[in-house]
Amino acid sequence: MRNLKRNSRVITMILSVFIIGMVVLIVKIYKESSFYIVNSGEAYLGYVYDRKGDVLFDQNATPEKYDVNHFIDVGNIIGDESPNMTNTLVYANKELLNNYSFLKGAVNNGKSAIYTTLNHEANKAVYNAFGYKNGTVIAYNYLTGEILVCVSKPSVNPMVGYENLEEGSLLCKAFYKYVPGSTQKIATVIAALENLGVDKLYNKSYNCSGEYYNLNNQSIKCHKIDGHGVQNISQAFANSCNPFFAQLVADVDLPLDGIINSYTKMGYAVNKKESKKNKINGIIYNTASTNLKDKNDFDTQWGCIGQGDTEVSPCQLMIWQSAIVNETGISTNPQLISYVTDVDGNKIEKLQTNYSELLFSSSTAIETKKIMLENGLNYTYSIPGYSLGIKSGTAEIKDGKETNSFLVGFNNDPNLPVAFCVVIENKLETDITTEYLTNILLSSLK
Amino acid sequence: MSSRNTSISYFSVKSIILLCHICLLGVVFFNGKYENITSVLILSVIVIATDLGYFLLLNMISQKTYTLDYLMILLLNITVIYHSCFGGVNFATKHYIITIIAFLACQFSYKFAQNPYKLEALKKFYYLAMVLIILSIIFLTGSRGIWIDIKGLFTIQPSELLKPFFVLVCATSIYFQQEKITLFGFRFVPDNVILFLFAIIILGLQWWSRDLGSIPTFFTVAFCALISRIAYPKGKLPKNLLVTALILILILAFIAIMMAPAYVKDRLFVDIWGDMYGNGYQQTRALIAIAEGGLFGKGPGHGFLHNVAAYQTDIIFSTIAEEWGLVSVILVISIILIMLTTALINNPKCYYHSTLAAGVVAVFVVQMSLNIFGSCNLIPFTGVTIPFISEGGTSMLTSGILLGFLKATQTPVFKDKPLNRKVKK
Repeated sequence: MRNLKRNSRVITMILSVFIIGMVVLIVKIYKESSFYIVNSGEAYLGYVYDRKGDVLFDQNATPEKYDVNHFIDVGNIIGDESPNMTNTLVYANKELLNNYSFLKGAVNNGKSAIYTTLNHEANKAVYNAFGYKNGTVIAYNYLTGEILVCVSKPSVNPMVGYENLEEGSLLCKAFYKYVPGSTQKIATVIAALENLGVDKLYNKSYNCSGEYYNLNNQSIKCHKIDGHGVQNISQAFANSCNPFFAQLVADVDLPLDGIINSYTKMGYAVNKKESKKNKINGIIYNTASTNLKDKNDFDTQWGCIGQGDTEVSPCQLMIWQSAIVNETGISTNPQLISYVTDVDGNKIEKLQTNYSELLFSSSTAIETKKIMLENGLNYTYSIPGYSLGIKSGTAEIKDGKETNSFLVGFNNDPNLPVAFCVVIENKLETDITTEYLTNILLSSLK
Repeated sequence: MSSRNTSISYFSVKSIILLCHICLLGVVFFNGKYENITSVLILSVIVIATDLGYFLLLNMISQKTYTLDYLMILLLNITVIYHSCFGGVNFATKHYIITIIAFLACQFSYKFAQNPYKLEALKKFYYLAMVLIILSIIFLTGSRGIWIDIKGLFTIQPSELLKPFFVLVCATSIYFQQEKITLFGFRFVPDNVILFLFAIIILGLQWWSRDLGSIPTFFTVAFCALISRIAYPKGKLPKNLLVTALILILILAFIAIMMAPAYVKDRLFVDIWGDMYGNGYQQTRALIAIAEGGLFGKGPGHGFLHNVAAYQTDIIFSTIAEEWGLVSVILVISIILIMLTTALINNPKCYYHSTLAAGVVAVFVVQMSLNIFGSCNLIPFTGVTIPFISEGGTSMLTSGILLGFLKATQTPVFKDKPLNRKVKK
């Protein structure tokens, strides 16, 4: 009898394993069914709205329903469900927008929706302000992390289609890396403050005669041909003096390992092939990267000034501003989604402000903020009415044939707590300025 | 169960089966996709008439319990309705015919396997049959294939036919386990050595003929046979031995996967969503179909999956789920599970039958697992059929025969015990 019972146990075991497998399968199907539908190419997707309820994405948008250029300013950040642009809010969050539930199946007029933090009106104003120029502007509330404006030009009009597009139309360039030009000096100031301390750094002064020859006899020129003379850190920052920063990097009191450590803590990939990538509600953004090998070598000094191998995304430049202006050394993580509703209209995900790890000390943040605010005073006439901490930059690209113009900063005002990064590509003397775009940006966010 | 009670209760059972089929036909009528009402009428008439025919046939067969038979009738005609509706109502003649063949095969194999003494006395013939089938796989299936083409009229999958014989070979009795011989100083049970050799040959043959889907089935049946042998005669599972065997099996499986040809590895480790239009096409479409079907389905004939290859065999679970809903397909799978569970309720009365029942359950469960979990990307997709539900003549015939064995273990006949047989105490 025991033998017979044992065979019954074998049968019980086999059947039990199968039943457990079926339970696992049902749970898997229940949890993943929305993902399956999204990938079927036949999903009914809900709307995406801006912070005031303006539609930013409608799967069935037609020129009869919307102005023909209604979506162009958010074309490459909001995107659509097609695989033409995969690093967009809609593509990365198709499951959230999917008007489907396993119990109800696909619902044609469901209420699944994403309510973003974007201000469409301000976004349009900034986009239009670019005129014929290309570039990118990103701005967010440094207290809450809400991205308010994100423009990348050229853009794409999803209602028109994907043919005959200008190069770069399908990318939101705020999330991709640029050579940052002199905006890199913010990071170098932070590294110097972290390693030397405030007093020691302010005690350092270097002479700028218009050109500096390092120990390897390599020349680093200043934009001011006759030089700035002897300066301290605050003056050199305001003057954006290259020879000063080259000498600072070469200074024996500032070890290269110290700079590398500070950069790495801020999120730079130093001497690595790939930079770190982070996500904002599923959208991937590049952080920063550089190569620092020999503090007496041109490439390293040039990298700390913001040229050469150094690359930073405008989004990352903006994020660092929050760690400075908040005086904490901890950045506020940016977010694009305010809340999400499910197929029945119930709120299922809400924005919760969150922060990075410590990037640098709060004393460094306070001092950097002071330096930037001092520099901001130089912009009182071009961007009036704000208390700005600012750093401009000009990056030479394509062997110096083109220059990109940068303006990075923050408004030190709790009523308009905005950190921003403005980039104009291939900027010429007669073109619009980054100050002009910043003015439009801040005034439209008021 | 007394005969009087039997007739009363089976009247209720028959009514429930008829009602169930009529309800499904009602769903087809009200919610199905058809161009002409005649197709629904033909389907309805044939299904109900076949139900009645089966009932009449069963009245002529006297047995202790009819549970498996009625469950089989319920299941077979549900599958006839399903198969007739895929992509639009059109009576599935081929599937209908093979369901009848399966039903009859079940009755014949039941009669054949009812007497364990007679059944085990024929073991030499099972060995012979297996050798013949193995030779046919080697010489008749073409270049490392799994099908024999009979003059273009129909095809046979000989490895399917191996399954009932292998289950018979795996079954053993206490008498067989006591029959030991000594050869070259080794004392062993010939029945076990032969089983081991057949298992090795079959697994090697399946690998050679690239019928990888069958390997887990044969393997599990052999493993169940191994357990029934290593545990004998104490009636207790020797845990250490079992754990060692499991570890060895895992190592062998790992080596086999590592040494598998590239096409097998592609199949086993495919990222189905990253290769939606390549190796992952069937599985992704199958999962999408289940999601689209939801709990209650799109309606008979309204699915898309009938446009995908092997929709009525390898991904049948999803095809049914899409048109009839997940609830429906789980209920149908539950019918097979209930069939197998009867082996625990109407316990086999002898050791030979109990090992036979374990083998049958192993074949059914492994095949269902490979099909359902494989097509839904829980385990590698190997492409095997679900017994009775998937289309396929050989598979259906084999399933019928195996179910007959299971039925026999529940209504055994202990006559004509060989006189020379003495069980040692």
